Amino acid sequence: MDATLLRKAKGPDEAAQALNKRMRDNLVAIGKNRDEKAFSDFYNHFAGRVKSFLIGKGLVEAVADELSQEIMLTVWRRAESYNPLKAAASTWLFTIARNRRIDYLRANARIEVDLDDEMLELDVDKEKTQEAQVDLSQQSAQLEQALLKLPQEQRQVMHLSFFRGQSHGAIAQWLDLPIGTVKSRIRLAMQSIRTDILSAENE
Amino acid sequence: MMRHLTDETLQDYACGVLNASMETLIACHLTVCPTCRQNALLADAIGGLSFNDEPAVEITATAADILALDKTAPINAPGALPTGVFQPGVPRPLARLLPTTLETLPWKSFGPGLKQYNLGTQPRKEGAFKLLSLDPGSRMSKHTHEHRELTYIISGSYSDEMGKFRAGDISDLSGEHNHRPHVDSDVPCISLIATDAPVKFEGLFGKIVQPFVGI
Repeated sequence: MDATLLRKAKGPDEAAQALNKRMRDNLVAIGKNRDEKAFSDFYNHFAGRVKSFLIGKGLVEAVADELSQEIMLTVWRRAESYNPLKAAASTWLFTIARNRRIDYLRANARIEVDLDDEMLELDVDKEKTQEAQVDLSQQSAQLEQALLKLPQEQRQVMHLSFFRGQSHGAIAQWLDLPIGTVKSRIRLAMQSIRTDILSAENE
Repeated sequence: MMRHLTDETLQDYACGVLNASMETLIACHLTVCPTCRQNALLADAIGGLSFNDEPAVEITATAADILALDKTAPINAPGALPTGVFQPGVPRPLARLLPTTLETLPWKSFGPGLKQYNLGTQPRKEGAFKLLSLDPGSRMSKHTHEHRELTYIISGSYSDEMGKFRAGDISDLSGEHNHRPHVDSDVPCISLIATDAPVKFEGLFGKIVQPFVGI
């Protein structure tokens, strides 16, 4: 890998890693000990960002404010179900926020994979072995690193599609690009992130 | 080789911008496909990490307010899911929407050897959500999609310009594709199909059957 890139990525990456770890520890402390101080730290970092996400996805400010509070209340109440071996704290929060927004917009809840489904196919190598799961904090760090390595234009499209607008068409309009370009940037970004993570796993 | 979801679709799924029909269909494939499930988790993780790039806007409540709210606010249980009829060979996300087994559904015929069962409630211009059961040897008319067409194969198989699709596979097509599937299994090919805009059939026969197929 390009040495300059690595050096450039190192600073923010370490800070981000420390932040990820602190937020994970906060969630675990809330789940185990109803730790109010941990909640306060988690809230102060994420609540305004959750609200920003909801506004970016098209909800009016007052609704976004109310839903953000509900989402943070859900964090406080459901932190016990958070498994630090399975997901980063930010991933867990992101899925709660995304699903809450969907449920607000629709009459019915989002139907997802049922983990008790008899048809559930497990990847024995990756999902059943404990070793694969303990690596999660490692994997988060690699993912962070992979994201930082993306060319600015790909990173921007990824960020916009998670946090702004409803569709690739909207993002294309936003950036004044053809929709095909937006889609191919997403594809390239996902591919290079996957390649980075796989090569890190095989090292 | 199993046929998978495209990265754009997985990413849209993670962002929560697809319609409910597509989400349910994707959950069917994710149930049987650990590879796509891993990729979906990866997309969620990217979404989570992207929070750090997001500026925090001011929020009216403080952490203490939320803790106070906890004492008074009712427990908002996650929205209830339909129970449906769980059955072998049908992933639960779809089974939840079925009133009975696949064999005993009130299928509607739309041509010799062609049956459908409608699951969608949205207006036609927002796309379709339905089960199709096509007898061995059936051909669909050649058609193009305005936006996206997802197909999850429940049983049997079909082939089109893209290749062969078997039970558990997903066909993830967007506007630029033009395809003509034909059933090549000995048993009927039962599939779940979701679109976000009406499809365009080619040829006279296609135009005649379209009102009956309604996709």
